[in-house]
Amino acid sequence: MTEKWRIIELQEKGAYLNMGIDNAIMDGVKSGTSDPTIRFYTWKPPAVSIGCFQSMRDEVNVETCKKNGIDLVRRLTGGGAVYHDREVTYSIIGSADMFPSGIIESYRQICGYIIYGLSILGINSTFAPINDIVVEGKKISGNAQTRREGVLLQHGTVIYDFEPEKMFGVLNISKEKISDKMIKSAKDRVTSVLEHSNVSMGELHLALLRGFCKGRDYYIGTLSAEEEHAALNYSTEKYSSDSWNFSR
Amino acid sequence: MEASFAYKVPGGKLIKIRLNYGSTIENINILGDFFIHPESSIQKLEARLTGLQIDKTEDEFAAIIEEVRRSEGAEMIGVDPKSIAHAIKMAIKNDGEVENH
Repeated sequence: MTEKWRIIELQEKGAYLNMGIDNAIMDGVKSGTSDPTIRFYTWKPPAVSIGCFQSMRDEVNVETCKKNGIDLVRRLTGGGAVYHDREVTYSIIGSADMFPSGIIESYRQICGYIIYGLSILGINSTFAPINDIVVEGKKISGNAQTRREGVLLQHGTVIYDFEPEKMFGVLNISKEKISDKMIKSAKDRVTSVLEHSNVSMGELHLALLRGFCKGRDYYIGTLSAEEEHAALNYSTEKYSSDSWNFSR
Repeated sequence: MEASFAYKVPGGKLIKIRLNYGSTIENINILGDFFIHPESSIQKLEARLTGLQIDKTEDEFAAIIEEVRRSEGAEMIGVDPKSIAHAIKMAIKNDGEVENH
């Protein structure tokens, strides 16, 4: 059985709405009112998302973020804290039976679309289990997955431009510890699209779109009015609330 | 007494245990960048560990965690019952000292 996928092209949204939209599409796929969907997005203002098992205050310098207008949000998915700025995020949401049943295998398959997309830009990357994609051993993409009531959601980021100084300012590392050595060590472990290919963020988006769409029956679509409404509701009631974001 | 301990599972993810205890665990949070499917299993696990005597061995804690994992049909990625049990015991042994390994 082939199913038609909806593609939602790159949109710039705030953290709460971005997470609300993923949640609303999951609900729609579960109830059969939404087609399986791949969407691409960026974050404005920049934001930090944390994994669902993390503690916000442990991971994030909350005061610095508030002072600098950086949003904070807890994801539905596990994994680590991510500073979202100068990167392209994707989410893929479909019935779980459309993907390999093994979790690592499904990461491998979905990360394969990103690896193909990056190859279009001349970047040779590989899957690094559990949930990363690396270029010459350095992380360029982190990914996180959840499966709920028969629906799989995976979202992840592809780093367009890596700015460790900014990242260390918002993640919870005391200023004294932000040494040159640490920044150098981060640069030894993390890379970016710009380090390997002189392309625009738009070109990265198009390459990822091609990676995700290859061999797939798809159409370019938008959110339905019901999804918009549900996403907004999630954004105001759940993802912007302290009771969710600071629950652990 | 309050204690916490962070433990990087070899080849896996980071677990951070934060707990209050006397002779038993009064409350516990299992934090970190690991994955557990379904995610709601973590609350079941924390509830099951609450009230347990702290003098249980690491193997005894691991067996209880495994029992919850099985009853929830949970899949753990980057973490396992043994490593969670290890982090719990280390947190208790450390008597409130925060360490990172």
